[in-house]
Amino acid sequence: MRKPLLGIDNLSVRYNTRGEHSEILDRVSIEVEEGGSLGIIGETGSGKTTLAMAVMRLLDKKADIAGEIIFRGKNLLGVTPKEIDAIRWSKISVMFQNSLDVMNPVLTILEQLSECIVRHCGASKKDAEKKSYELLDSVGLDRGTALLYPHQVSGGMRQRALLAMAISCDPEILIADEPTSSLDSSLKGEIIGLLSELQKKNKFTLIVISHEISTIYELTSRLAVMYRGRVVEEGVTREVLINPMHPYTRGLINSSPDINPYRDLWGIPQNRIEQKNAGCVFYSRCTQRESECRDKKPELEYAAIERKVACNRGGIVPILQGRSLNYAYQSSGMSIKACEDCSINVYSGEVTALIGESGSGKSTLAALLAGVFSPDSGTVEFNGNQVTGNSETSKNGGLQIIFQDPYTSINENFTVMDAVSEPLVISKKFKSDEIINTVVSTLNEVDLPSEQVFLERRCHTLSGGERQRIAIARALVMRPSLLIADEITSMLDTSTRANIIRMLKGLQNTKGFAMLFITHDLAVAGKISDRVYLMKQGKIAEKGSVHQVLHRIDSEREYTGSFFYNNLKS
Amino acid sequence: MNLPADKFKGKFQKTIYLTCNSFSVQGIGAIIVIVAVSTAALLAGLITVHPSNLPSGAPFTPPCVEHFLGTDDLGIDIWSQIVYGGRTSIYVGIGTALLAGVAGALAGIAAGYFGGHTERLIMRLTDIMIILPDLPLLILVGAFFGPGINNIILVLALFSWTHPARIVRSKVISIKEENYIKAAVSFGAGFRHILLRHFLPGVMPLLSVSVIRLTGRAIVAEAGLAFLGLGDPLSKSWGLILNHAINFRGIYFTPFWKWWLMTPLIAITLLVFAIALVARDLEKKINTKGVIS
Repeated sequence: MRKPLLGIDNLSVRYNTRGEHSEILDRVSIEVEEGGSLGIIGETGSGKTTLAMAVMRLLDKKADIAGEIIFRGKNLLGVTPKEIDAIRWSKISVMFQNSLDVMNPVLTILEQLSECIVRHCGASKKDAEKKSYELLDSVGLDRGTALLYPHQVSGGMRQRALLAMAISCDPEILIADEPTSSLDSSLKGEIIGLLSELQKKNKFTLIVISHEISTIYELTSRLAVMYRGRVVEEGVTREVLINPMHPYTRGLINSSPDINPYRDLWGIPQNRIEQKNAGCVFYSRCTQRESECRDKKPELEYAAIERKVACNRGGIVPILQGRSLNYAYQSSGMSIKACEDCSINVYSGEVTALIGESGSGKSTLAALLAGVFSPDSGTVEFNGNQVTGNSETSKNGGLQIIFQDPYTSINENFTVMDAVSEPLVISKKFKSDEIINTVVSTLNEVDLPSEQVFLERRCHTLSGGERQRIAIARALVMRPSLLIADEITSMLDTSTRANIIRMLKGLQNTKGFAMLFITHDLAVAGKISDRVYLMKQGKIAEKGSVHQVLHRIDSEREYTGSFFYNNLKS
Repeated sequence: MNLPADKFKGKFQKTIYLTCNSFSVQGIGAIIVIVAVSTAALLAGLITVHPSNLPSGAPFTPPCVEHFLGTDDLGIDIWSQIVYGGRTSIYVGIGTALLAGVAGALAGIAAGYFGGHTERLIMRLTDIMIILPDLPLLILVGAFFGPGINNIILVLALFSWTHPARIVRSKVISIKEENYIKAAVSFGAGFRHILLRHFLPGVMPLLSVSVIRLTGRAIVAEAGLAFLGLGDPLSKSWGLILNHAINFRGIYFTPFWKWWLMTPLIAITLLVFAIALVARDLEKKINTKGVIS
């Protein structure tokens, strides 16, 4: 392996403000190879910009810094201000986040550029001016703009000017801090193109700090994901974005339409529970937290080839694993195979879609996974426990299944209260006022009224959509960590279907449970799911992330005369 | 019939209103008859003047002001006999029906829920009970157990439980396949929960119709047994009055049959007919949804 050009080792940064310490970076370790490119992604406040500032030694007065920043074998934190001055800008330069105040408003662009060149590269004023014009050419700016003041140019032009300044001394490392965040999409494309072109030409090492996945995806080969001052995942950019292994990375990707434009947007829900300093930084928003995570900070460790993840559970864990499941219906001496060697994984906090035509064995597989049927061979594991019968479905926080037909899945002579509270009553672990509170709050969650009159209504007086909501509420009162939804919308009209799916996906997102969504509707699966399994004639025909599979199906439709897609649609 | 609950001041008023709306005219008439007969039987002491087991006038008195249904060969008031006999008949009818209903429901639920050998055993048993001719066996078993009103109830129930058992079984089988049972089982529900919360409420409407029908049937069967002289000679039922009347030699040569024979006959017919009408109306209500709405 080549020696890294820049190695950040256990870097911690704390800001001192009025005696209050706030930890901005916590033992961050990142390396960049010479000529390589690294993306740093994270939400606002994750410490990305602080990292760049620390590398540039711009934080000395404001913060306590610990750790090492090794550039070409030299610890930047140990060198004298004079030495750092020589390195800053000529060796490592920053393209700051685009805003009016990063440029001096009383100097023209030309003056600023040449000042920079004179100061950091030691050129004469005349050479500097000449070089400035060349730089403007290389970033695609008209020479005429050189004499304008910063407030007279557009945002895109200012970004180009900033880029010109950053590369003015041919730095070895260029740190681009949010290079595209305030630009419109065509300008974004231009800046991205310009950056990668310049990187090819000038052969500098590029570090891109951004919260925009598309920018990172196009500019970098490696990626570090930061959250609250910690690197939570690191790996090859493409791999990380296609197959995230940390729940936070997945959340970021789900919040961005760049990777899969068909999908609905869902942000990572905000803190729901109290966060301790000692625990994992993502604890409060994590969908797979365990009690251990509250008190133990996970270290960044290898989870796969070229992939490091900081998670106590080793990354996103599969919550349900079905391994080579076989099931055949026996009827009058005949044996009809409904599931053949089906293996399926559902990951914690994710929506997995199981798509297939009717009769392809989807519902049978769902019943096997939930323990309603027991498989002829093969095993089902839920959270590491073998699923046998109702062993997991009778647990609080376990697995729940919602059936296709809301008319038979609820005893229609039951009142709403009876129907929703049934699992709680059966479990015998709750007092009656707890049960009432849970039922009322769950009914609110599924957008049903919770007045006494409604609680006392018999289910046969309710519509199909309402009954399906009741069925969902009944599953949710057990606070499941996995919900199997078996064609729950196929008997409902379009508008009710849309409402229920959005509601369910919203609940899934905020509550963080995993969901196995069984459907024959490709479009719906594309909207809400993370992973897709495709069943055909009792076998798993395809699997993968949702955009991979849908993309394959789309291209298949183009080339093979659409039999496959039509079959599914009908 | 879904009316807002607050339209009625009292629960009683609501019940009356719903009943009037749910039943046909005949049905309402039938309910009135049943209520009247039951009240008369219950309040027998208040609405009779003469004892039902001692002579209180001349024998064979035709209906008059004193004995408005006349008297029998011993001069015992027939109105008193009918009213007190109603007690026995209704007691036997309801007792038999409830006993057969409970036993039949248990057998039916066991057969339907557990299936397999249990089901086969119970169903073969019902088959046997169905093909056996009722009356000869009733006579035989009645004679064997000896007279006694509770024995009669037992014997009649023995031949009546198969009907509720069969309908309950088929209903339980259909409920068992419903997804809500699968859901309940997946929540960890045991047999007790499923029985109390799902099966019993589910079979109750059908079972209640069956029990009502059995009541009518049992009243007739008891009368039949008594008529044949196999009833309890100590508890005077309508059948026993019939039995006495028919055993009076040459009753048809006299006008006595007009009040002595006809009154118990009319009483039995009226009550059984009313019960049948109520059962019919209830059945119509149930058929659509399996619920009494």
